[in-house]
Amino acid sequence: MKLDRRTFLSIGAGAAAGGAVGSLFTPLPWKLTDDLSIWSQNWPWTPDPARGEVTFAPTTCELCPGGCGVSVRKVKDRCVKIEGADGNPVNDGGICPLGSSGLQILYGPTRIKTPLKRAGKRGEGKWKPVTWDEALGEVAAKLSDLRQKKLAHTAAVYVNGGEGTVNNLFLRLATVYGTPNVFVSRTAWDTYADALLHMQGEYAKPAFDLENSDYILSFGCGIIEGWGSPVRMIRVNAQVAEAGSGKTVVQIEPRLSNTAAKAGKWVAIKPGTEAALALGLCHVIIREGLFNDEFVSTFSQNFEDWVDEVHTEHRGFKRAVLEDFPPSAVEKITGVPRAQVAKLAREFAAAKAPVALFGTGKGEEAGTLYGAMAVHALNALMGRINQAGGVFMLPPDADFNWPAPAMDALAQRSLRENRIDGAGTDRFPLASELPSRLGEVLADPKKPYPLHALLVYAADPAFTLPETEKVLAGLSQIDFVVYCGSQMNDTAAMADLVLPDHTCYEKWQDVPTPPGFARRHIGLTRPVVKPLFSTMQAGETAIRIAKAMGGPVAESFPWSDYIQCLEESMGARLADMKENGFWEAEPDKGPWYTAFKTRTRKFDFAPRIISPAFPDTKILLPTYEALTPAGSESGFPLTLIPYENLRLAAQNVGDTPFLVKTLPDSSLMNQESVVEINPATGKAFGLREGGAAILSTPAGETRVRVHFYPGVAKNTVALPKGLGHIGYDDYLAGKGTNVNALVGLLPDPVTGHNAALIARARIVPA
Amino acid sequence: MSQSSLKPSETPADKNAYAGLWAVVLFAAAVGFYASLLVGWIVFPKLLYSKQNQPIDFNHVVHVGAVDDSCQTCHYFREDGSFAGMPATADCAGCHESMDSLQGENPQEKLFVQDYVEKDQKEVPWFIYSKQPPCVFFSHAAHVFSPKMRQFRDPEYQLPEEEVEEGAYDDTTCHVCHGFIGESEHNRPYEENRITGYSRDIWGENIAGIKKHTWERMKMDDCAECHEKVKGHKEACFVCHK
Amino acid sequence: MEAAESHEKQKMYGMVIDLDKCTGCGACMVACMAENNVPFRKDETDKFKSITWMRVYLLSNKKDYPYSDICYLPRPCMHCSGRGGHGHSPCVSVCPAVATDYSHATGIVSQIYTRCFGCRYCMGACPYHARYFNWWDPKWPEGMKEYLSPDVSCRMRGVVEKCSFCFHRYQRAMDLAFTEQRTELEENEYQTSCTQACPANAIVFGDLNNEEHQVAQLVSEPPEGKKKFRLLEQLDTNPKVYYLTSKDWVLSAANRSVKEEAKKAESGH
Repeated sequence: MKLDRRTFLSIGAGAAAGGAVGSLFTPLPWKLTDDLSIWSQNWPWTPDPARGEVTFAPTTCELCPGGCGVSVRKVKDRCVKIEGADGNPVNDGGICPLGSSGLQILYGPTRIKTPLKRAGKRGEGKWKPVTWDEALGEVAAKLSDLRQKKLAHTAAVYVNGGEGTVNNLFLRLATVYGTPNVFVSRTAWDTYADALLHMQGEYAKPAFDLENSDYILSFGCGIIEGWGSPVRMIRVNAQVAEAGSGKTVVQIEPRLSNTAAKAGKWVAIKPGTEAALALGLCHVIIREGLFNDEFVSTFSQNFEDWVDEVHTEHRGFKRAVLEDFPPSAVEKITGVPRAQVAKLAREFAAAKAPVALFGTGKGEEAGTLYGAMAVHALNALMGRINQAGGVFMLPPDADFNWPAPAMDALAQRSLRENRIDGAGTDRFPLASELPSRLGEVLADPKKPYPLHALLVYAADPAFTLPETEKVLAGLSQIDFVVYCGSQMNDTAAMADLVLPDHTCYEKWQDVPTPPGFARRHIGLTRPVVKPLFSTMQAGETAIRIAKAMGGPVAESFPWSDYIQCLEESMGARLADMKENGFWEAEPDKGPWYTAFKTRTRKFDFAPRIISPAFPDTKILLPTYEALTPAGSESGFPLTLIPYENLRLAAQNVGDTPFLVKTLPDSSLMNQESVVEINPATGKAFGLREGGAAILSTPAGETRVRVHFYPGVAKNTVALPKGLGHIGYDDYLAGKGTNVNALVGLLPDPVTGHNAALIARARIVPA
Repeated sequence: MSQSSLKPSETPADKNAYAGLWAVVLFAAAVGFYASLLVGWIVFPKLLYSKQNQPIDFNHVVHVGAVDDSCQTCHYFREDGSFAGMPATADCAGCHESMDSLQGENPQEKLFVQDYVEKDQKEVPWFIYSKQPPCVFFSHAAHVFSPKMRQFRDPEYQLPEEEVEEGAYDDTTCHVCHGFIGESEHNRPYEENRITGYSRDIWGENIAGIKKHTWERMKMDDCAECHEKVKGHKEACFVCHK
Repeated sequence: MEAAESHEKQKMYGMVIDLDKCTGCGACMVACMAENNVPFRKDETDKFKSITWMRVYLLSNKKDYPYSDICYLPRPCMHCSGRGGHGHSPCVSVCPAVATDYSHATGIVSQIYTRCFGCRYCMGACPYHARYFNWWDPKWPEGMKEYLSPDVSCRMRGVVEKCSFCFHRYQRAMDLAFTEQRTELEENEYQTSCTQACPANAIVFGDLNNEEHQVAQLVSEPPEGKKKFRLLEQLDTNPKVYYLTSKDWVLSAANRSVKEEAKKAESGH
């Protein structure tokens, strides 16, 4: 037999057939089929998160001033979820969407992982990592250099609040260094504190006992949109929906916000006229004799007309309000029908525990002093001070018993220089600082002097100040901008040097009383995980900068490290803070005859300022002064107002990816902000739902999408606040428009602070 | 086709050649058949699985003898009801504190203390014989403590009237599913399926997938089989999948 | 299957959401995403492709300023039990892969990602748009995989996902119960992530079959001045999520039947 091709193939076929049949008697085909099908379901690139022991670690959320206690769920060493801490008096188990997404900040790409030095052009996003020694050395050297050149006043410090140890370490650094240019982000709470200073004689934050109030009259406050401590406020608001609670919220606001929709009553008002309505209510209450007679006659002054030492007659609050704010006049100013003004006043007066609230939206804009005083006067008329369900005074959380700062001659002299923003000068005698003017001042070629250095801690002036373009241009002119914080926000993106802070999940720190909270409440952040990156607690950074500068600056920082500073500053409170996560104290609830710290120990309806800045007697008699945004009515026929809510973080922390995801397409569409416009007005301007449009104001213009929303008045457009970032990551940066870039400075004629974010605008289809 | 294409020259010799060819082909088929059996039963499993030794050779017998509470000393339930599974190095360090206080003479212990305990209690990269895919949820608590399982193991069992602090269980409970691992003096090598990436223990040692004991196979069908037996039905997918 | 479980105490987990309390803050949405390893992308403004197990819808009374009103409506999976409560929910009925299933023990509609092959019949069948398709493999920015939870498996491209009533929390709670020799859970032992997070306490979760649970009480006797409703009740889907409202316009918007809507569309209004 020849082994020809045919034979070979036959044998091969036989062997193959035999093999095939044989394989059926082995597990091979079945096992292979099973294995391959399993293989086809393997997705090795899909994460398989490691398992392990689950534990819960407490800390305090620092993403907004709300001060909620949180509980971080961990699997082994990883944080996997943030939940509200049960039993915490601020939020008792509840949490807001921002706090809930905090791990996207802890682990996310917006974290600054190591000290960075600018490597490209300013704001270009090119950085060179440097060591902490280099970074701190450079800050100390630059600042010392300025100081030696007697230019200490040209270095400015910008912090996000005046309370808490870390803010105060930076403020102390500014003082001993010798710069008067200290900026603290200015909010409606500060304005209310000013009102309390003038009317009650003591600088204190207001504490509202809203849980025990039955009638909450809100002058534009975003009660469920971030005003005060968000979770607490939502809890308060939910009491209203409890059947048979007898509690109501009345929301006075130009736009149908979430708060307005959830309130028992929404009073639609023209933007920026809330003070007039408050005084209109005072008018009705006084005219009809509904006020608290005991309080007004025994514990107040300047309610009636009065005569000063030089026999000049002055109108008292009563006559001023009766003359200037009858409901008919108020209707003209505010657009609220006179009958409704009267009805509101009677309801407020008839309630058992009414209280009036001040602060537009989240309260992030200062507002007007008279606005705050008018609202507080309403509270005073009904005797709602130091009463259950009313308003109390809380001194700022800055009682640390620190030794007096060591001030050398250099510091003392440069502290006497005029501030660059003109605060405290004859032009703005009632302001201690005017951060909102920073853009304008830096852009002004005739400014008193240039700023050579700016040290920012946790604030984001590049994003939050009005007139963004001027602010950014102004920042670019400063030789040396240092940002200290945990995230690459807009200001960090514009900095020369970035000094990364731990997040609130990695550090020990005190968290001051949440705004508006009814009691003094100092929270404690504590390390839930060891710091993940080469970051440093910002208080430690401040101390080390001071120490590196040596001399009297260093002497004023006697602590070996921040932890020692924290322990000494908190003193006996720290034990509570460590055990419960917070320390609490009731506010002073003293009776009216001890409550007021004015010269006469009485509540002052029309406080008088005695200051060399006022050659004539200056009397702060609450009134309404119309705010006139720039631009002509013919060129800009619409009014632009911002809107805020909890899904839009608009302060020093921006939206996380989860939060951006929750934004409805009536706020953001692709990369564009969506503007709300009344359907009738929209149609009149040739717009269509979802269509593109160009929105312009005297300050700038932007491309937007259109959403017809009957919750805004005719000829009004509303834009979401919190978009249009230049910092952060691809999940936030470049999305939408920053309202601040479209809105010019609208100063309070009394103080100079920014009164409101309102602008004239026009819109055309794009 | 046309007649002319028939093979006109067929001779008996040719016929013989055909028969011969058939015989050879049949023989080849037989060889193929047996070769296939050989490959399928012996070569294939060797090729299919890779073998690796555990980083530390662990002696269960010694440990079971040394601890008070048998299996649950190291393989315990946490307070929240979850099962700790493989002990963490920190757990081991309770006894194996440092090189100065070794418990015995075994070089493997030295290796463990030196390379793991004394290096920040680094975790040992154990190979887990029973590791299931990420989409599987397995509750040890349900299998050890649930009344159904108790009744399954002990038909006399009655659910207590009052709440009991902690459910006592013993080695016999563990044996039901895990076999007699506590009697092993060495770790067997970990074998991994080169195609699926899963442990050989899932399919089982027997390449034909035949099992005699519960612990010899851990495929989904095995779960379902037992669930059907104990609970009367296969149950919703959610019970075991996440 | 039903008969087999009848000797066990059957649960019917459900939710009552008080729309008067809901502020639309979005905490439930984020708490859900954080709990369940829900992915996110750089642009999430196309809401048809945006995966939100819990989604807060906005209703409007469509009146003009200043009489306009809005109301938020959070929408998880309704965990429908279908006509007669037999477990024939719209999605379960159509799934050719048994990747979604109705559990008679808990009343929860499951979704098994590794079982799903992405035909999306269930998405078409679900009248609540509660189901979402993974058009892409999820991607997490650098470092963010650290926070992923091992309790919920991560999805891959080509599968459908939806709200599970945080079933893994039930499993964990049962683990604890078993070790304590219990087979029943306390009301607070098993709560969904959204319920726990809600700052307004607008969401109440529990066993609708258990009279002692708040959900059962709210459903049998809604608080004074509030009315209860379920979404698209007329479809006989028998959803397990109830809503409470005191606003008549919300109630009528919810009760508007498909026929009415169709009639309106035909007559060109």
